[in-house]
Amino acid sequence: MDLSDLEPGQTLMERRVAVTAERAAAYAKAAGDGCALYAEEGVVPPMAVAALALAEAMTAMRLPAGAVHTGQEFAFPRPVAAGSQASVSASVSANSVRRGTRFLALDLRVEVGGETALEGKTSLAIPEGAE
Amino acid sequence: MSSAPERLETPPRLITQGQVVEYADASGDHNPLHLDEEFARGSPYGRPIVHGMLALAMLSEMMTASFGIAWLSGGRLKARFRAPVFPGDAIRASGTLKRIEGGAAVYEAVVANQDGASVITGEAEVPLSG
Repeated sequence: MDLSDLEPGQTLMERRVAVTAERAAAYAKAAGDGCALYAEEGVVPPMAVAALALAEAMTAMRLPAGAVHTGQEFAFPRPVAAGSQASVSASVSANSVRRGTRFLALDLRVEVGGETALEGKTSLAIPEGAE
Repeated sequence: MSSAPERLETPPRLITQGQVVEYADASGDHNPLHLDEEFARGSPYGRPIVHGMLALAMLSEMMTASFGIAWLSGGRLKARFRAPVFPGDAIRASGTLKRIEGGAAVYEAVVANQDGASVITGEAEVPLSG
């Protein structure tokens, strides 16, 4: 994907994703997040949902190596139960180039059962010419 | 929880390159900036850096541990990545109560490294029940 073609308001991706207990457990282990509450409530760590949404957006964009996150905003209106099917979507909210670096902002949304479980905005800095 | 502690803080946690690799697999973020020493050497950082989302996760973990289901069903997190975290760094998350507004506690949230440098700054907001 040519990042210079991305326009604010453009939908980047919409996808159904399984939020499996195994995926959540792998995330929690890797992140070192050992809160017992997730298992007690049967829900996944909210940042696991955030990471999943980001990964889907990054994959859709084929983000070049060398890109870095400069900012993140997340709201978690409701927890996501392990085993849920989630609808993940991402759209472009800003795209500009300054001093050889592309600044890209994406809006992220995760819905489960028709209700919003996560809203987010991610800001990325991508060196121009990075592959 | 219906009250908001003035101060939240986690113990320091060492982030290893092994954990970075594990996080890459679990999150699907295989950017070579985190995983490939040779590639990272040519970057502005000079060596691999830890995923920002991995460091940020510590703030969410702190809020979950402090506020439980209230964080999972109404929390908000806003963060800027100020400086890289490198494998071998020991980072800790903290929160300082800034205000209570509209039934929610708003914390100034920081992730700092072993030198006390803020690597992530932002705000964490959690609804207060009762």
